[in-house]
Amino acid sequence: MNDTLKRLRFLLRQTLLRRRRQSELDDELQFHVDKAIEAKLAAGMTAEEARRLALVEFGGMERTREECHQQRPGWWMGTMVQDVRYALRGFRRNPVFTVAVIATLALGIGATTAVFSVVDRILFRSLPYAQDDRIVSLGTVHSLEKQEFMMGGFFFDWRDNQKPFVSMASQGTMPHACDLVENNPAQLDCLYFDAGFLPLLGISPVLGRNFLPEEDRPNGPRVVLISYGLWQGHYNQDPGMIGRSIDIEGNPARVVGVLPKDFQFPTLQTADVIFPFALNRAAQATANSGFGTPMRTFARLKPGVSIAQAREEMEPLFVHTRDTFIPPDVRKDIRLSIRSLRDRETQDVQLTAWILLGSVLAVLLIACANVGSLMMARGEARERELAVRSALGASRTRLIRQTLTEATLLSLAGAALGLALAEGLLRVFLDLAPTGIPFLQRAGLDLRIACFTVFLSLVCGVLFGLLPALQTPRVVALAARAAKSRKRTVLRRGLVVGQIAVSMVLLSGSALLYRSFQNVEDQRLGMQTGGVFTLQIALPWYRYNTGQTVMDFYLRADAALRRLPGIRAVAISDSVPPGGWQGGGRYADLAVSGRPLPTPGMGGVVVTRKVTPDYFKALNIPIVRGRNFTDEDRHSGETMLILSRLLADRLFPGEDPIGKHIHSPRSTAVSTVVGVAENVKNGGLLEPDEPEIYTLRRSAADDWGQRAPVMIVDSVLSPKAATPWVRSQIAKLDPTVPITVETLNEQVSKLADRPRFETALLGFFAFCGLLMAVIGLYGVIAFVAAQRTQEIGVRMALGATRMNILRLIAGEGLRLIAVGGILGLGAALGTARLLKSLLYNVGPHDPGTYAAATLLLALVALAATLIPARAAMKVEPVVALRYE
Amino acid sequence: MPTSTDLLQGTVDVLILQTLAAGPMHGWAVAQRIQQVSKDVLQIGQGSLYPALHRLEYKGWIQSDWGNSENNRRAKFYELTETGRKQLETELETWTRLSEAIGLVLGRFPEATA
Repeated sequence: MNDTLKRLRFLLRQTLLRRRRQSELDDELQFHVDKAIEAKLAAGMTAEEARRLALVEFGGMERTREECHQQRPGWWMGTMVQDVRYALRGFRRNPVFTVAVIATLALGIGATTAVFSVVDRILFRSLPYAQDDRIVSLGTVHSLEKQEFMMGGFFFDWRDNQKPFVSMASQGTMPHACDLVENNPAQLDCLYFDAGFLPLLGISPVLGRNFLPEEDRPNGPRVVLISYGLWQGHYNQDPGMIGRSIDIEGNPARVVGVLPKDFQFPTLQTADVIFPFALNRAAQATANSGFGTPMRTFARLKPGVSIAQAREEMEPLFVHTRDTFIPPDVRKDIRLSIRSLRDRETQDVQLTAWILLGSVLAVLLIACANVGSLMMARGEARERELAVRSALGASRTRLIRQTLTEATLLSLAGAALGLALAEGLLRVFLDLAPTGIPFLQRAGLDLRIACFTVFLSLVCGVLFGLLPALQTPRVVALAARAAKSRKRTVLRRGLVVGQIAVSMVLLSGSALLYRSFQNVEDQRLGMQTGGVFTLQIALPWYRYNTGQTVMDFYLRADAALRRLPGIRAVAISDSVPPGGWQGGGRYADLAVSGRPLPTPGMGGVVVTRKVTPDYFKALNIPIVRGRNFTDEDRHSGETMLILSRLLADRLFPGEDPIGKHIHSPRSTAVSTVVGVAENVKNGGLLEPDEPEIYTLRRSAADDWGQRAPVMIVDSVLSPKAATPWVRSQIAKLDPTVPITVETLNEQVSKLADRPRFETALLGFFAFCGLLMAVIGLYGVIAFVAAQRTQEIGVRMALGATRMNILRLIAGEGLRLIAVGGILGLGAALGTARLLKSLLYNVGPHDPGTYAAATLLLALVALAATLIPARAAMKVEPVVALRYE
Repeated sequence: MPTSTDLLQGTVDVLILQTLAAGPMHGWAVAQRIQQVSKDVLQIGQGSLYPALHRLEYKGWIQSDWGNSENNRRAKFYELTETGRKQLETELETWTRLSEAIGLVLGRFPEATA
């Protein structure tokens, strides 16, 4: 018992009273020496002799002391604290180095983590379906619809005769607005899919069940699945939801299931309420004039079947469909398409994602090289210190541990800052990103990649930090004039050359994107956008179910808006240039009366727009020939057309198009060309212009039945001031309809989001890369200059001018810049082809852009060389000769 | 340090424990006693003595207290704890077994070849 208490007191004292412990040890050892002296005196030695011999016998006092300390369990933790304090002191003494390393690390870690978090979902993360890589999107495509689609008329033929798939299932093409009519009404999105759809994806409802086969047929019971969002938001996660009846557009429907929270449609659409598709072969054969319902179809490949094999096996079915089902004049235009679901979902974003990933890895590479270079420089500068510590008895493991501690501290600080930066960057990305990039809104910081980048920077810090420590500190290092290791300087130069080369690649890439973005911004749209806003009114289907009701509503809205002060023009169209959805037809469908029919499948696409006469006034598009539509035309039985200049020149080269008649090859009803309008940018901002045909939106129910109209308003008021007026006018007509007001400028700017996003990101990376490369370059030149200070002194003493010295040092930098720049230019020219599809009106090898990028790099790099070189030039020869 | 530190360490520990079994004493006395008892064959330098004493103390086999030496100087006295006493018994057993085994091998070796 007594023992235990004593032991506890001992351990406590040993831990807490460090200083006491040391002085006690000293006393104890001193006592031993004194005893030895006593013994020797007793043996008859002189005092002097006894003392000397006793100390010799005793050996290294310090060493014993050290070893006694090391008996303490966990003693190494104490030295770790010591190492950390030592490292921190070192950092404070050398703030430039510390800040440079931490900033470099933070930038590398932050940028990589943020970008990877974004592209991971696009490129790598599996889609949220069972064995997602076996699911394909299949169907036909043609020049007007580049996403696979199918028609109910041949879906059953394909489904029943196919061989490569385990199963095939379909959903409706577009969600449509539908009203939930209850105490708490809401406008929802409704969509259809068949009973096999969820099983194909490997998804089961979180609550309730999927549609039963007997529910998925015409005139089956009216049942629905609802989204998790609707269940949560509208029904408070009511556990009794299953079996409950909800009122959709005036008809009750029974809820049979709730979709999982993270469920996403393979088309990336969203829908709140899903009805069974309820297709059957007999009905589809007659519906939609024999074509059947359009749909999106997905299929699961059988094990071992590749997409290429599936395409081959489906080809005969497709050929059969094409030759029996598709009208002869469009047969040439139609193709079979089978794509993996990932390709379908990410579309053309994959290239952007790869480019971002590539450039951020380049930045990481530069960052690692920079950290390595800085650590090596520090190691060299400290070679003498290490030698001194080693001579004073510090073991090699101790020195290595010290270096490791420093590298770890720097990496941890860099990592913490980097993760904060990553979070910030990710927010910026999300703000900047165009709406077309899938999954982006779900992107969150990826911890795995954060760990990876932290680990990587740790490795490169430790690796380069250890290089000098691993070498046994040389005795020469103790001598003041240390012959510095040439080999490591060569390595550092190599790193700098690499950095310059990589940043050259980044810089020229971002310069190309910038040029292209400028071209996009500066191009002429052919219409006015300032002061124009569009008005989209979501009329509920079930109340506005005929062309007549829609027309009545819009004509009254048109009249009401015209009465407002400050409104110059109001027009109604079905779409607005320069991008977004717009109607389309085939050039081959335009037959000119009195000429042979055009060749089917030739000539590409023609944009069509159904407009009221004021369309050209509202957008300020000049009529270059003939006349505009008039209000009288709207009541005439004749159909009239205005062609864009591009189309007029193609259809009637060298002729006057006015008064010519055009008809469809399938019918004899003719339309008359009354005018030619100036070309307008209508293929989006990045695509070339398409020929365009304007048809008059007459005051007849037939002209209002299809696509929901959009109103275009040209106003002298700012859109902000006009919006409340407009809203109140529409609310007078129907207080329940939702309205979206958007200025045309906003819409155009949104179209430029994508190039803006790419340019901004790549530009940012190029900037970071260049900055780090320049820091690296500066470091090496400054180091070389310092190393040669004495040589400079000798040269000057022998008569070298200051100019000679400047040339000597700057020449060193110029060589590095030249080698790195040339290597980088070669690599940039080689990789630029990847950017080709992102560039607008600028070639991937545009000489001007490369010249500008090279010049910029050269200037900045030169500045980084000149600063230390000038410092070297100003050295006083006398000082230089006495250096060290 | 000689390369046979590990072997020596265990041996030194046993020697110290056995020496301290006679009663509390300070480091110098421990070294002297081992030297005397072994008839000057075993000399333990302070370089191994003090680390060993500290090690044993951390292990809880011995404990220390400051007291006055023969000529009234402050000195650190070590004594065996209960655990230390038990440990000594085990160590002695092991040692006996080991030395008997070595003795057997060394004693019988010529017989075997004969």
